[in-house]
Amino acid sequence: MSAPTNTPSSLFGRPTLAKRVEQGVLWLLRLSTYFVLVCAAFIFIDIGWKGGSVIFKTSAPFINVPFLTEAPETLNVFVRDGQKITMGDRAFRQYKAAHEQQMKGAKVETYVYSAGGIFPNIVGTILLVAGAIFIALVLGVLSAIYLSEYATDGAFIRFLRLSIVNLAGVPSIVYGLFGFGLFVIALNFGVSLIAGWLTMAFMVLPIIITASEEALKAVPKGYREGSLALGATKFQTIMSNVLPYALPGILTSSVLSIARVAGETAPIMFTAAFVMRDELPWQVQKWTDFIFQGVMALPYHIYVVASKIPQNEYTRDVQYGTAFVFLFTVAAIAMTAILLRQRLRKKYQW
Amino acid sequence: MSLASHNPTTARPSTSAVLLRQRRGWFFGLTGDQFVKFVFQSNAAISIVILGLITFTIFRDAVGFIPMNRQNLEIYRQAGLEFTDLMRLSVTEHSTLVRYLSTLRQQEVGRLTQGLGLSAAAANQQLAVFDAYTERFTGAIAAHEALLSTMTDRCASVKERFTVAEDMRQAKQTLLNGMRQAPPARAASLKQAAEAMQIEVIDFKAEVAPLLALRPAVVAANAALVTELRQLSAQLPSFADAASQARLAKFPGYLTQYLAELETTAQRMAAWDQAKPVGVFESLNAFAFGRDWITASFWQDWYGIIPLLTGSLLIAFMALLIAIPLGVAAAMYVNQLAGPMEQRIIKPYIEFISAIPSVVLGFFGIAMLGETLRRLSQMPALHWVPGFPIAERLNATTAACLLALMAIPTIFSLAEDAINNVPRAFKEASLALGATRLQTMIQITVPAALSGIMAAILLGFGRVVGETMVVLLCAGNRIEIPNVGAGLGVIFQPVHTMTGIIAQEMGEVVRDSIHYRALFMVGVVLFLISLLVNWLAQKIVRRYRISIG
Repeated sequence: MSAPTNTPSSLFGRPTLAKRVEQGVLWLLRLSTYFVLVCAAFIFIDIGWKGGSVIFKTSAPFINVPFLTEAPETLNVFVRDGQKITMGDRAFRQYKAAHEQQMKGAKVETYVYSAGGIFPNIVGTILLVAGAIFIALVLGVLSAIYLSEYATDGAFIRFLRLSIVNLAGVPSIVYGLFGFGLFVIALNFGVSLIAGWLTMAFMVLPIIITASEEALKAVPKGYREGSLALGATKFQTIMSNVLPYALPGILTSSVLSIARVAGETAPIMFTAAFVMRDELPWQVQKWTDFIFQGVMALPYHIYVVASKIPQNEYTRDVQYGTAFVFLFTVAAIAMTAILLRQRLRKKYQW
Repeated sequence: MSLASHNPTTARPSTSAVLLRQRRGWFFGLTGDQFVKFVFQSNAAISIVILGLITFTIFRDAVGFIPMNRQNLEIYRQAGLEFTDLMRLSVTEHSTLVRYLSTLRQQEVGRLTQGLGLSAAAANQQLAVFDAYTERFTGAIAAHEALLSTMTDRCASVKERFTVAEDMRQAKQTLLNGMRQAPPARAASLKQAAEAMQIEVIDFKAEVAPLLALRPAVVAANAALVTELRQLSAQLPSFADAASQARLAKFPGYLTQYLAELETTAQRMAAWDQAKPVGVFESLNAFAFGRDWITASFWQDWYGIIPLLTGSLLIAFMALLIAIPLGVAAAMYVNQLAGPMEQRIIKPYIEFISAIPSVVLGFFGIAMLGETLRRLSQMPALHWVPGFPIAERLNATTAACLLALMAIPTIFSLAEDAINNVPRAFKEASLALGATRLQTMIQITVPAALSGIMAAILLGFGRVVGETMVVLLCAGNRIEIPNVGAGLGVIFQPVHTMTGIIAQEMGEVVRDSIHYRALFMVGVVLFLISLLVNWLAQKIVRRYRISIG
């Protein structure tokens, strides 16, 4: 990057027209850049502020624990003794049983998903992401090892690289269609974790392969040659002298793909996500049911509460609260990845 | 990867080598290292397999659409719906003209009451001649309307009966299929049930005959309409106001146009052939160039991709219009002008923007941006902007703004890479010759990186076209071709998109129905677009490598 050429203008007299135009354009570019940054910051601040007021409380324990630990419920709103009372469904039933007389003929308005919390959604998202990343990492790292250590240029490799590049460009909704057509219907998995895992794993596979290959290629050739010269087999060389050094890079890239997987909605819409489910994922009869069950997920929940249910003053809290939890979790993951990568790039400069 | 490839070069291998080789050849005739390589290789091949599977899956489900739509169109023709729709065309065109007249009246009333301060009664009195004219004009179509209603009833009932018969036939087939596996006693009862089902066989020719018998009546009605309209065209009333008169004076022109259309419609009705078969291409064309996407309608379902495609493209181009200047400007600024400290912050920050989940952006659009834009558009100071004030909170612009934010990181990173890859010598030579930084950047660096920037833009386009959640939540989801007649205001119309329609309707369709397959067809189009974009981007990048040398 060039050194700034801010020579004092007094040395050369008045700035020329070219200089002034340059200053103008420079400021224009600077302003456009900062405009983008401000726009993004505005989104974070808006959701952070409005969602933060749902998640954080001014009194101990300072965090809205029920919102994070309960399932979504229907909100009941009724007027009693001139006071408006709002209550989640479970509490309302108890209340109704206890106050049978007073509640007779009372007008109760109900709002779906507006009470309770988002616990099953958090759990579902974690399960989906963990499984998808596991599958994608195994497939991706093995593929990357082949590409960087074994591959010699040829028709197969060229075709392989072409496939990877094209897979990276396929829209996520097409992955969703594919997962739906293949796993949910043709293989008859139903709307299930496994269908979502495979769909999302295939979706991030190109990212993981590309990033892992980059990390493997960054390991200096001398490391491999030294090991091979000492009589190790190629496999031993990879295991002892290449993978350990490439691992930090691979893991960093996988953290970034976690953010990508967690943030996607379209691929899980018809493969893994349920709008509402009463059981938690571990409440299953036998273990095979575990992978063949659909789950609730945070991004799908945001979609549902933002567009599928009637909007009113009560849905606002759950919308912003969910968006807050989701956005800042994904952002934290992405931030970790980006910072890690910056540190790594500095650290490993062979 | 057989042993042959491991052939030692010496003519006679030593005994120990042979023994060693045999002991190592444990795994399917491969040595250990070869086996490991094979494992890695087959793993890498998964990417190819996945691409193949995606292609296979979506094409398999999409291909069935063509014969199904062919049947759909065939019924449309055979049951006489097509014939009726021709008739309907004359009636709807006429009502467009009626609407034009009533708009004129509204404007005139506004001018009289507000502009001249007349009372409503007085204004009506002034417009009495015009009203009589409008009434006569409206009445002229009455015969057509009566005929159309008879025809509609007839066709709808024929189609309804056909649908019922088709459902029954399927139910019977299910019963018969179930019979094969059922125990004998149950099978007998199933068979009885199946045989008891009376399936009506519809003879379209006979059913539609009364419809065709109406042809002379249609011809007579047409003739009457034409004479009436010719007379009306000659007896046009007049307005006192020059501007109103000018608008009214356009009416005979429209009327002549309508008469010409009436003529062609009449010819098409006369030439209409019920038995004309529907070809494969006609079925495919109905999808690729169809201007309607109408599903679950009692009359006729249409699966035309044009409204969705135009919606997608409109939003994508608008998003790029915002994202390209900002993304490229940011890349130029960060790479060429920013200080090291700024670089260290801005680059990860923009990368970080790409991590914002699309559904959160979409939610932000619903909760915040849409409303803000509408409020802004209602400010009187901004009424000169075409399309303002905005009618709908969720429209193409809302979605495009958010999509631009998603495309900026893609465009930025790739463009920045491209600028970074320009050899230093280019820039240094230019600076040494006395060019300013700006001149160097605009005349040397950016042109050298141009193909890389073009590829960045293309990939940004791919990202925007394939994005689902933002458009699903924010684009307004009205299935209609954007009305270009509104001028620049077209960008504030709600639209629907290809990705949005899949996400919205896939969850609700019956499996293997024509609608289900139509959605897969849309998926195929998206898939092909993404491949095309990728191919173009790669082509451009390859060229770029050569140009730098």
